[in-house]
Amino acid sequence: MIAPSVISNVQPLLLVVEDSNEDFEAFQRFLRQSPLAIPVYRCLNGDQALAFLYHTDRYTDPESAPRPGLILLDLNLPGTDGREVLRQIKQDDALKSVPVVIFTTSNNPKDIEACYRQGVNGYMIKPMDFKLLKRSIQTLLDFWFDVAILPRNSL
Amino acid sequence: MMNQALTVINEEREPIHTPGSIQPHGLLCVLSELDFRITQVSLNAKDIFGITPENLLDRPLADFIEGDRIAEIRACLDPDSEQTNPINLSVTVDEGSTQFFNGIVHRAISGEIVLELELIAATAKRDFTQSYRHLKDTLAKIQVTKTLSELCDLIVKEVRQITGFDRVMVYRFNETGDGTVIAEDRKPNLEPFLGLYYPDTDIPQRAKHLYLLNWLRLLPDVNHPPSLLTGLPGTEPADLDMSHCVLRSLSPCHIEYLQNMGVVASMSISLIQEQRLWGMIACHHNTPKFVPYEIRTICEFLGQLMSTELSVKEATQNLDYKLRLKATEVQFVNRLTNATDFLQALEDSPDDLLALTGAQGAAVCEGDRIALIGSTPDKEEVIDLLGWLPDRFENDLFVTDSLPSLYPNAKAYKKVASGLLAMAISRTQHRYVLWFRPEFLQTVTWAGNPDNPTRIEADGSVTISPRQSFAAWQETVRLKSLNWLQCEIEVAIELRSLIVDVILAQTDEMARVNLELTRSNIELDSFAYIASHDLKEPLRGIHNYSNFLMEDYADVLPEDGVTKLQTVVRLTQRMDDLISSLMHYSQLGRSEVVRQSVDLNVLVQQTIATLKISHPQHQIEFRLPQPLPTICCDRSQMSELFTNLIGNAIKYNDNAEKWVEIGSVESKPVRNGTQISHTLYIRDNSIGIPPEHLERIFEIFKRLHPQDQYGGGTGAGLTIVRKIVERHEGKIWVESTPGEGSTFYFTLSEAVKP
Repeated sequence: MIAPSVISNVQPLLLVVEDSNEDFEAFQRFLRQSPLAIPVYRCLNGDQALAFLYHTDRYTDPESAPRPGLILLDLNLPGTDGREVLRQIKQDDALKSVPVVIFTTSNNPKDIEACYRQGVNGYMIKPMDFKLLKRSIQTLLDFWFDVAILPRNSL
Repeated sequence: MMNQALTVINEEREPIHTPGSIQPHGLLCVLSELDFRITQVSLNAKDIFGITPENLLDRPLADFIEGDRIAEIRACLDPDSEQTNPINLSVTVDEGSTQFFNGIVHRAISGEIVLELELIAATAKRDFTQSYRHLKDTLAKIQVTKTLSELCDLIVKEVRQITGFDRVMVYRFNETGDGTVIAEDRKPNLEPFLGLYYPDTDIPQRAKHLYLLNWLRLLPDVNHPPSLLTGLPGTEPADLDMSHCVLRSLSPCHIEYLQNMGVVASMSISLIQEQRLWGMIACHHNTPKFVPYEIRTICEFLGQLMSTELSVKEATQNLDYKLRLKATEVQFVNRLTNATDFLQALEDSPDDLLALTGAQGAAVCEGDRIALIGSTPDKEEVIDLLGWLPDRFENDLFVTDSLPSLYPNAKAYKKVASGLLAMAISRTQHRYVLWFRPEFLQTVTWAGNPDNPTRIEADGSVTISPRQSFAAWQETVRLKSLNWLQCEIEVAIELRSLIVDVILAQTDEMARVNLELTRSNIELDSFAYIASHDLKEPLRGIHNYSNFLMEDYADVLPEDGVTKLQTVVRLTQRMDDLISSLMHYSQLGRSEVVRQSVDLNVLVQQTIATLKISHPQHQIEFRLPQPLPTICCDRSQMSELFTNLIGNAIKYNDNAEKWVEIGSVESKPVRNGTQISHTLYIRDNSIGIPPEHLERIFEIFKRLHPQDQYGGGTGAGLTIVRKIVERHEGKIWVESTPGEGSTFYFTLSEAVKP
């Protein structure tokens, strides 16, 4: 879909780790409304996300799983949960430079504290307010894909 | 009575071993060393011997007594000879009749040879075989007695049977020298003396010493005046040491003492244990009574025999008591081990608790809780005593038989607590057990009623009671209880260590339960967390999809449809609030209370400032009538507490002129002064709360008004406030008059700074 002429403008991949279809649907809705053309790949749980990042299981072909520019990670996931995924990413020299933003229901101070200790790059709470949710996602996308400079090897 | 007592005390200085006189029923002469000439003689010589003292003095004994007997007397003085007292003597007196005597010879401590003669009455003659048989019987009986009490009961019966005294008793002296009658056999018409106490001063030390020297003392007639000794020029009858004389006259004081008791004749047999006067067999007769030498010898022998048995029987007796104590203790501890609240268990077995140490009262204390058992000081007095006590413990024990002399306040309740045996189980937790014993004066069965020293006999005659030295003794026993026995103290020590073991076991159990609780709390924490997450996720889905509907189908949805979807959205938000409140409440109960010094004046001002910003439309007067304390508490929780309470005061207020008063009632020490409890209040002129709802307002999600009134809310605010107060070891209550206003009172506790 993406024209070769604008390849240099091609946005890095956004990896969304989210088990809730409804939450992902809402996310996509606001993503679509964004002027930025951001490629998104969704993993349904922690194990799939790790397989994607480490090129294991069905992602043995590196082409099928490019290195993401940003990871949007839910904390409460079936199987290996978001906390463990974050820990593995941030303890891996090859992966730790990939920014990770937590996007979760949990406002538990313990979670917030623990994630930042692991080196998370942002922590957002899924609001129970449609307008607020919309604004949160728009701000997230604008900041990371328009304002911020991502590491070079994201491309 | 005081004079009488002084007389007794004076006897300590009286030379009772050198009275210079004898009892008049016999004759005493002192003999010269080589030729046995009479150098001193008693003035009653004519009555006994038929020869005047003048005619006896300076004459050889051989002039009156056969030569063979003189040889026996000499042999008696030789320690290596087998010749023993008494020596049968016959004397032909002036009228030509022959008198028979028992001669008793000994060398006095002061060196003289002393011969005492006692008349042998024909009727008193006793067959040796008969005496021997009787003694053998008694001996057999003594050997089968098991305890001291049995032995004593037996001995008084036997001695009375042998001697025929009206009354035979066993006295026993305690460590301080006071005597108790522990066994008695008496003529049925006599008043019992069993159990009576006699003070130490009744028998002077010097007399006690003489009882150690002589196993037996006889006084045939207390009303016979003593007979003085006379001697050749150069002799000093007043210097003759009569310690070993059987005829030695009694001190006037002792005579008076016996007369006071109405006793005419008496005999005493010493009971000696390890060179100590353990007690006496005391025999009383209400008419004159002479006991022949042979029978006295049997009695003396019985006394010696009993003395050798004392240690064994006493040990058995003590062992019995100790075993009984031990059995009680074991039962007791078994119950304690199975008890969840061991202090309750102590209180539940009051008789055993008292029996353990032989106490008449006990107090079981834990913190502010005090249970009184039996005869004790009142609660306030025990609390005061507990304030004085903690520094006095040695190895967690404090024992005294005279509390009032150490702690003057105790004089007020000496009647119940002159003796104290206190045990500290845990001083930090203020766990104590106190045992009380009454003042001895209260427990003694008096030898004669001290308030009524005369006694009217059945025949109408008045007898002076034996207890004449009462006042003197009363002085010595005042403010004192019976001594705590070593075995009773040991039981307390053992009980303490057993209780501590039980507590330690319970502490272990508590630690296990706590661990379990922590684990389940963690589980609950994660449960609440996961549950709320899981509840919120679909809720958010409903919320978002309702919004999608409104956005995507705005063209086709009728207005009514939009309104209904808006209601769905509003409800999802409300449900989200409820879930959040529930989570917050559950977190409050589990998260640690981070205490720091907080100036409530500053905190309240900050809260007011914030509330003013969020209620700009309201005119509110904030009143702070007095400064608030600075308390060591959790700052963020305290902030939430005031925000909720002051917020409610504003929220539920219809008045145009609203006011809220924040004040402090008092700060007082609690929990034995280890904590300070602050009572604060928040008063307002709000709509008030109907009395039937005063308690329910603290229930979670309990609202008294419809959703859309008074600004809504989840109904968790006061529940959270109560939780915060409880986390600060306080309580909250409300007083309210509907239409006038409410006052919320609450207490907050903090530890006293060391």
